[in-house]
Amino acid sequence: MAVTITDAARGPSVAITMARMKVAVLRHSVKGQQGGMMASAGVLGALLAGGTIFLAFLDGDWLPAAYAVWMLGWIIGPVFSGGGDETLRPEFFALLGLRPQRMAGGLLVAAFVGLAPAISLLALAGLIVAGVREGVEHGALTGVVAVLVAVPAMVMQLAVFVLLSRVTVALLGLALNSRLGAIGAGVINGVILAFLGQSWIFAIAMGQGREIPAFVQFLPSGWGLLAVRGNYLALAAMAVLIVLLLAAWAALLTRRTGANRTPSARGRRPMRASTPHGAVVAKELRTWTRDLVRNHQLAFALTYGVFFAASPLVLGIPDMLPLAGPIFIMMAAAMTANAYGADGTALWLTLMTPGASDVRGRQLAWLAVVGPVALVLAVVFTAVADGSWPLVLSATFALLGGAVGLVALLSVTGLVPGIDPKNRGGNPLRTSEDDGSATGMAYLMLFVVALTAVPAVLVAVWFGWWGVPVGLLTGALCWWGLGLPAERRLASSGPELLHLMRTGRHPEGDKSSSFKVPDNLSKTQQTIVWICLSLGAIPLIPQGILAAVFVSNGQLGHSWFLATHMPPGLRYPVAIGFMLIGAGMYGTGGWLWQRAKKAEAG
Amino acid sequence: MTAALEITGLAKTFGENIAVDHVELTVPQGSFYGLVGQNGAGKTTTLSMAVGLLRPDAGTAQIFGADVWSDPARAKQLVGVLPDGMAMPERLTGREVLTYLGLLRGLSKEVVAGRAEELLSVLELDGAEKTLVIEYSTGMRKKIGLATALLHAPRLLVLDEPFEAVDPVSAATIKGILRGFVAGGGSVVLSSHVMALVEQLCDHVGVIDKGRVAAAGPLDEVRGAATLEDRFVELVGAGTTAARGLSWL
Repeated sequence: MAVTITDAARGPSVAITMARMKVAVLRHSVKGQQGGMMASAGVLGALLAGGTIFLAFLDGDWLPAAYAVWMLGWIIGPVFSGGGDETLRPEFFALLGLRPQRMAGGLLVAAFVGLAPAISLLALAGLIVAGVREGVEHGALTGVVAVLVAVPAMVMQLAVFVLLSRVTVALLGLALNSRLGAIGAGVINGVILAFLGQSWIFAIAMGQGREIPAFVQFLPSGWGLLAVRGNYLALAAMAVLIVLLLAAWAALLTRRTGANRTPSARGRRPMRASTPHGAVVAKELRTWTRDLVRNHQLAFALTYGVFFAASPLVLGIPDMLPLAGPIFIMMAAAMTANAYGADGTALWLTLMTPGASDVRGRQLAWLAVVGPVALVLAVVFTAVADGSWPLVLSATFALLGGAVGLVALLSVTGLVPGIDPKNRGGNPLRTSEDDGSATGMAYLMLFVVALTAVPAVLVAVWFGWWGVPVGLLTGALCWWGLGLPAERRLASSGPELLHLMRTGRHPEGDKSSSFKVPDNLSKTQQTIVWICLSLGAIPLIPQGILAAVFVSNGQLGHSWFLATHMPPGLRYPVAIGFMLIGAGMYGTGGWLWQRAKKAEAG
Repeated sequence: MTAALEITGLAKTFGENIAVDHVELTVPQGSFYGLVGQNGAGKTTTLSMAVGLLRPDAGTAQIFGADVWSDPARAKQLVGVLPDGMAMPERLTGREVLTYLGLLRGLSKEVVAGRAEELLSVLELDGAEKTLVIEYSTGMRKKIGLATALLHAPRLLVLDEPFEAVDPVSAATIKGILRGFVAGGGSVVLSSHVMALVEQLCDHVGVIDKGRVAAAGPLDEVRGAATLEDRFVELVGAGTTAARGLSWL
């Protein structure tokens, strides 16, 4: 009877069926609550793609550099945002008897359906622009050929991006099956992301200033452009790379669906706690050491902090080194921003044992894990680099307290429902179905934690050692003062949070989450609110305020700041116009939101 | 005598869907109460509201007279709960889960250690001393869940589908423990859609259909002369589709 199944699996229908499944799922999510978020992500993506196409009109190697960034985005994005696109999982098809190659092919085709691939394809339209420019420079015939080559090159380039992304995720999933792998992957991610964040250093170190290093155009991300510029070997090379990556992915998929973890049989240290508070700490500390995802997060945060702070050493600048500790604290907070969500429905036990101070225990455990490491980093690196002791210590204490308060508060108030640990399947990075919100929360945490250090750092800058007691004080206040509302909210809205965790939906009439767009807005209005609030910062800050600052400093022709490219009389008007647009977007979004809230309350 | 569990007018609506429609149930002290109903009838929603895991739109639940919502500390002290399919502290071993929860319940370290030892050995989980809960099989998960429900010596057990996906040997162990608990004066409420199991174990039964109580009371009164299964089909009025075959087989 299996014959009928394999018959169906033989044709190209597998790929088409999978693509159709993906379209169906996407259609539901566009209609659902994610629609607004997808719309604003789409606008932002289209802007980035437009910027990339614009680079194709410039001389110099800006285009391959931009494509290198897109490629890195595809590779790193899933690591940061919880395992990438998992709409169709290989586990769904495990019983169909598909050959791995065919399954990978089908999943690849399905992977082309979606917002991110569409936007990337748009960005790759820069290849067509490059083709047209070939025609302008070398005659019409060359131009026609170049444009004809650009079309398959776009698709193949996109396939390279998507496949690189999938293979990375699959490799990581494999790595996260062992402790060594989890830590190793965390270290590698930390190094890569830190270097990306500090890429200016390497640009300067290579002594090229505003020039793009030559090797960039020979990266796989530049092969499409090489082909358009007449190097057809690059097209063949891309085809070979695609076949190799597809084979690798197919092999990794079989490992994943067939993965069988051996139960651990190590001796366990006995629990010595004797109070409810101690029990929570003991439980948390065990989870920190045993959960490979948390191992990975910690290793990542630590490596990121160290390498981000240490990379200016390449230029002989040690001044940033003492920041390793504070950066580690901020990254660790961002990684654990969804602490309650990550534990899934285990929250029911907290609800059944009222008065056991789960929040305080978690805070203490967080401090016990992050605190000592952060202090050692701060002390050692400040000593080595001969940094400013008051500045580093005040920031470290203030950040530790701020992080431990905010992790508790934000993970309760902004809870993003997680996947129960036992249901995570072959992708341990994926701790939530709603990875967009989870990533947003991590960035938000990065930002607000940094804010908690501002008072202490300012005092340290102006009054030296006085910053340290201020840091201790604000840290203690945040720890205690932000933990308190977290504890209260957990007690008052525990059942609602548990319901959210079980179903992924906010209960009816739960107005407690301030992050949620009011329901009584129409779909169009919700989309407008999302776009206004999430993108209003772009015209307001970089294109408005920053551009005006550049104009006033006489820094003209500055990268993408439009006002600096304008003729003299238009510079300030353009910057002010952008500021007005940004302020108007915030005003519109805020006004629609407030009006709906009032209507809902009344 | 106050009822072990008194459910009055509990109601819950999810969007358009009325999950529980003003359910009234009384579980007398010392009874072994079976809650039966089809999938989606509202059993889990009712039990979740009864123990304080889901906030009802209307109605109250009292455990030995203590209101679950206005006096949660006392009510939750008196009840042990086994929900269906919820996570545990997954990175702890069975013994660690019990130690952790016992301490959370305010028990002393020595008492916790003694009870954990006994529970693990009675439930035959002591062989898996080094295994983390995340690596447990479904049957083992049910058993460690039952152990956490029994740990603080509650007077009422509320168990959602305790025998779902449990092998016969483990099921026999669980049945033995529950019978012993009732014999010792405790009260048990369990939900199930296996009629034979409820007939075998319970002395009281409540039939839930489409969010309402279709019948409730002592087992013999509810089923009358028929078997519980026949009575159940009659009550929920589901036209049977068993006779219709599948066209391609």
